[in-house]
Amino acid sequence: MLIRAEFKKLKPVRYISHLELMDTFRRSFRRARLPAAYSQGYNPHIKLALGQPLPVGMVGFSEYLDLELCAQIPASEAVNRINNNLPQGIKISEAHYIPDDAKSLQAAVNTAVYLFVMKFSGPVQPEQILQNFMARNKIEITRHRRNKKDRRLDLRPLLYEAEAEAEKLWRFTVSTGSSGNVRPSEVVRALSEQEENLESIPVVNIIREGMFVRKDEKLYKPFSEIIVND
Amino acid sequence: MIVSSKIENKLYKVEKPERYIGREWNQIKKEGTTQKKKILLCFPDTYEIGMSHLGIKILYHLLNKQEDILCERAFAPWIDLENLLREEGLPLFSLESGHRAGDFDIIGFTLQYEMSYTNIINMLDLANIPLYTEDRDGSHPLIIGGGSTVYNSEPAAPFFDLIFIGEAEDFIIDLVNTYFNFKNQGLNRKDILKKMSKLPGVYVPSMYEVSYHKSGGVKEFNPKFPEIKKTIKRQIVNDLDQSFYPTGFLVPFMDIVHNRAVIEVARGCTRGCRFCAAGMTYRPVRERSKERILELAEKILEKTGYSELSLNSLSTVDYSDIETLVKELTDRFSGQKISISLPSLRIDEFSVRLAEEVQKVRKSGLTFAPEAGTERLRRVINKGVGEKDLYQAVRAAFNSGWDRIKLYFMIGLPTETRKDLEGIVSMVDRVKKIGRQTSGRRTNIEVSVSSFIPKPFTPFQWVAMENRESIEKKQSYLRNNIKGRGVHLSWNEPDMSLVEGLMARGDRRLAPVIEKAWQKGARFDGWNELFDFSLWEDALHKSNLKFSTFISGYSPEKCLPWAHINMGVDREFLYNEYKKALSEELTPDCRHEGRCTGCGINLLFPEADLYAD
Repeated sequence: MLIRAEFKKLKPVRYISHLELMDTFRRSFRRARLPAAYSQGYNPHIKLALGQPLPVGMVGFSEYLDLELCAQIPASEAVNRINNNLPQGIKISEAHYIPDDAKSLQAAVNTAVYLFVMKFSGPVQPEQILQNFMARNKIEITRHRRNKKDRRLDLRPLLYEAEAEAEKLWRFTVSTGSSGNVRPSEVVRALSEQEENLESIPVVNIIREGMFVRKDEKLYKPFSEIIVND
Repeated sequence: MIVSSKIENKLYKVEKPERYIGREWNQIKKEGTTQKKKILLCFPDTYEIGMSHLGIKILYHLLNKQEDILCERAFAPWIDLENLLREEGLPLFSLESGHRAGDFDIIGFTLQYEMSYTNIINMLDLANIPLYTEDRDGSHPLIIGGGSTVYNSEPAAPFFDLIFIGEAEDFIIDLVNTYFNFKNQGLNRKDILKKMSKLPGVYVPSMYEVSYHKSGGVKEFNPKFPEIKKTIKRQIVNDLDQSFYPTGFLVPFMDIVHNRAVIEVARGCTRGCRFCAAGMTYRPVRERSKERILELAEKILEKTGYSELSLNSLSTVDYSDIETLVKELTDRFSGQKISISLPSLRIDEFSVRLAEEVQKVRKSGLTFAPEAGTERLRRVINKGVGEKDLYQAVRAAFNSGWDRIKLYFMIGLPTETRKDLEGIVSMVDRVKKIGRQTSGRRTNIEVSVSSFIPKPFTPFQWVAMENRESIEKKQSYLRNNIKGRGVHLSWNEPDMSLVEGLMARGDRRLAPVIEKAWQKGARFDGWNELFDFSLWEDALHKSNLKFSTFISGYSPEKCLPWAHINMGVDREFLYNEYKKALSEELTPDCRHEGRCTGCGINLLFPEADLYAD
């Protein structure tokens, strides 16, 4: 049976990588003595799947994982037991059983919400900038790819919403995953190409606030009934 | 000052930032009140190497068990973080509280590898602490060293206030308390060191003076004061069951070198391989009882969540009751999908059977170390392994489903000839053939050929290191002859071996050499990507010293640079072993043949539990 959990990855552990995070979870499941299911073969390991990797250095307020269990225990008990065995900075907020045939996280999650802690080199008008930005028909940037040629990409259709929560705290809702992925650094780059008073910001100034499934222009948590029973 | 909070938001700039964040599961974080004795354990290499080292973990947990002691860790920052710290004007800091290294009362360095000496002084410098003991006083932390290379720490000795010779578990608390007692009495650093040098195992380098022959070597090594002991006797733990062993091990986030639960099942080895420093300097053999091992395993696995348990020792297959131990461990833990690993295997079918038993859950590679290519040379080094044993073991391994075999050899051994190299090539060929015949799958053979460095306290301590040209020729011969699909050959950089030989065999005159090389940028000298031989050549030259002084052999009539350390094995025994090596004579293992070989260890440590039965 599959359990889907939402968790936070906070500042104390923001520098640990995706794979290290998986290992950390697996060890915490073992310490918690959860009835975890193991893969077959010469090198059995706990069946665990995470959503799209969170970049090293970035805090995530609402990340997700799928864990397969071989015996059912109440979801709230699983949450407590895991949390008691997780290092400071990683915490499960909520977990639900989902049908075995539910779409995987990587396939289902298609939207991410990022918070940018902006830096300015001169006076700026956040609302105006964001309005202009979202009013553009095309936002072309160059995507750098590891071991591959750079390519030009239009970000505009992949950006859903932009707002300034405070002068220096900007929120972007963007497409993520295999159906069109926006890297937050690309949004920063496009912005600073448009406005001269915006400085580039390092990864630690960005927070991934949420991961959602976007359906009919609405955002759902990946364990919502409407999503997992789809 | 909390340094970590000033650097944390810049760590995205460095490679592997998780090296510097601490906060691992089981980390011990204590309130740093003024009553606490504050100790910083420094490991002069990267986090992933240091956290794989058992000694530092034992001491970390042991020291923190004491209520009045606070013990934290620091590892050598990689050059990117070093540059960042220097740019920001920030000092070396501890992982736990992020405090400045200089704020601790005692800083303890692990001396585990000769090529990490530049990192030691780099860490001192980053902590704004004077490098040499003579330039420090009571306002600086006490700088102590300990670990496996203390048998000859002379090249680095002038950087240390004191060095502990031997196994520290049963002595370290006493040592810390004694220091604080003297300090609280208001004694100055020099007087404290003088008094502390009376403690067992404590070596205070500044209490001795060394004179040198015109020709190069050490002439005399003498205490500066009559009350200072002439030789320092290594200290050992008599009974492993009674000695401290942690269970709540730190669990790193990072995938470190040895990322698994570890139980040291025994200490010491009596096989008597003549090249092996550990085999001579960790005697006598002491075993942890099966009951204690099972009890530890249960607790460690529960507290760490590791899925692999490694049974460590110099020769785990030699553990008295290894079959029962392994059987009981697998019975108890395989249901929890925990695999057991044995890091060192003997070359025989018994070992393979044992490995098969433990690797029911996971199958990693198997490692065998014939060390030399011919029966003759293996007699010289007292590695009594028949070629047939190897082939049988390899066949058994392939038959049982392994398809990755590692073979370890050495070149540059005393008396080595062309035939011995040809022997390596033909052994690898034969293993390849057996792989093809038995497994039918594609097999993988990793051949590791390292250059022999004659280490102190071994029967070969007097011999010369082979020169670079000759080593290079041998390596190129092996490269040309060991190849093909599924065979991978690796070897040591000859220049690096030269510096390692220098540091392993040298004396105190090398301290300024280390300093000069460091000033010009030498760091992480054991890392291929950072090692720069020219810095060392230059530093030696500027100090008017030559490589040959230290690596061209020492006369048995003269004083060795490490003669003031008493490791426990008699000089006469070592010398006799050297003679027997030259006449290709084997010396049997006293544990298995039941005949004393007269190494002298039992006389030095009569209390040690030598499993008399």
